[in-house]
Amino acid sequence: MLFRAELRKLLPYRTVWILLVLYAVLLAGFVGMSGGAVINGKPMGSSLYAFPGVWSRLAYVASYFNLLLGILLIILITDEFQFRTFRQQVLDGLSRAELIQGKLGIAAGLAVYATLVVLGIGLFFGLTRGPEAAPGAVTAELGAVALYAVQALGYLSLAALLAFALRKSGLAILAFMLYGWVAEPLVRSQVPDSLDRFFPGKLLSALTPTPGQELLDTVTGPSGALLPTQALPVALAYVAFFWLLSYLLLRRDL
Amino acid sequence: MVLELDHLSKRYGGTEALRDLTLHVPAGSVYGLLGPNGSGKTTTLGIALGVLNPSGGTVRWFGQALSAGSKRRVGALLETPNFYPYLSARQNLQVAAEVKRADARRIDEVLETVGLLGRQHDAFQSFSLGMKQRLALASTLLGQPEVLVLDEPTNGLDPQGIAEVRTLVQRLAAEGKTIILASHLLDEIEKVCTHVAVLQRGQLRAAGPVRDILTSADRVVLRPGPATTPAALTQALARLPWVSDVQAEADGCLSAVLTSEQHPAALNEALFSQGIILAGLELRHRSLETQFLALTS
Repeated sequence: MLFRAELRKLLPYRTVWILLVLYAVLLAGFVGMSGGAVINGKPMGSSLYAFPGVWSRLAYVASYFNLLLGILLIILITDEFQFRTFRQQVLDGLSRAELIQGKLGIAAGLAVYATLVVLGIGLFFGLTRGPEAAPGAVTAELGAVALYAVQALGYLSLAALLAFALRKSGLAILAFMLYGWVAEPLVRSQVPDSLDRFFPGKLLSALTPTPGQELLDTVTGPSGALLPTQALPVALAYVAFFWLLSYLLLRRDL
Repeated sequence: MVLELDHLSKRYGGTEALRDLTLHVPAGSVYGLLGPNGSGKTTTLGIALGVLNPSGGTVRWFGQALSAGSKRRVGALLETPNFYPYLSARQNLQVAAEVKRADARRIDEVLETVGLLGRQHDAFQSFSLGMKQRLALASTLLGQPEVLVLDEPTNGLDPQGIAEVRTLVQRLAAEGKTIILASHLLDEIEKVCTHVAVLQRGQLRAAGPVRDILTSADRVVLRPGPATTPAALTQALARLPWVSDVQAEADGCLSAVLTSEQHPAALNEALFSQGIILAGLELRHRSLETQFLALTS
């Protein structure tokens, strides 16, 4: 019932389709164009799309597009405050916990969508533009995509928390961008490295490390980020924490 | 009792929006909540329905604490019609039906009831205020609730729409539904309600059956005969302990309030025994408006 109601709100909403298509088109366009990039006089070409490395490269690139998904979720949540439909749904019999569950369902759905898009793009470019894959190479590093799914859910959970806290779309979107780009880096610069790596933004980005990070580390020194497998349980704990906090915030007057 | 509100209070920062409000709504009544804008009507209903948190006090529906189950027995329209602007009337009711776990086949029926069946595929955002209000009424009826909570249901409606809502409320009341109606329109309350509670600045001023609240305020108007001066009449009235609030009216008449046990005939007799002959004696039913102004002034 709950999720069917959510779908009835989503499917006819043009903004949802625009942002979902934008996510897929921009990501595919970026990936498609980067094949033509030239580094040290050599075109990147097909090596970029080679299995299994394409998955971790793609997961890293896709992490920059989480912003679009976050904005979409913020719009969907703040709409409910603006249209006073959260209020109406509580009048009509839903509990606040059910309102949260509905949006958690949407966040999970968006993370699944993003994962499917990444899988689709990876398969398409890997199979059509990459060198011939060795047996088993296509599925060898799919774990990177699974980590990306958790990362997307993590960013979406943060976006949801800001939307539930601020209740206004413009404000929440601004806070979402400022948090990642300004606020967290600023605070992180003031704390020791041992703590720094546990901040949500840094921790979530550790799930999709920069391709060739090991090589970079030898040049610039270690980045201090956790390994993806170390970051995974903490990221899931953040997801749970953000939704719990969202629930507590929703207990205010509607 | 359908709804029992006990000692409700609500503070917004330093403002006290509701102060120690106790109100009991009997089953089958049409209960009017009357008060000027900002008197606490919507706050009261918001707390009763769980969208606002009280600073103190308790809410009981059907003798139990507020729950999803009790809310599904209530259809509520609070303050404004709340819908998704990009969805059509029908799509909005489909969402509401899912939330209320109501039978979606009721949608046609309720749209018909409020006269929106012909506009069911139009987006909510293209509706006039009156149509939005009617869609909200339709939504409250979806789950066939036992109780309807309607906060300013005629807001934005034209005279015909107001009359239609009134007829609808009366029809639903005749079916045995309990209706809680908040309004600042006295006329609306007086025409349809069996009970009324008067709120002012977050406090309850009076509550009870409309008849009681009104009769307690009925006045008798006395026209002295040619041989009687107003002063003599005033003196004679002062000797009767069951007469109070003597006021001068136009044309040398006086008006007064009798205690509920006494009738105008007894007054006439008591004055005659004091040698006062009246040229006229009339019982003036006080309108809710006058009573309301008296209570809130």
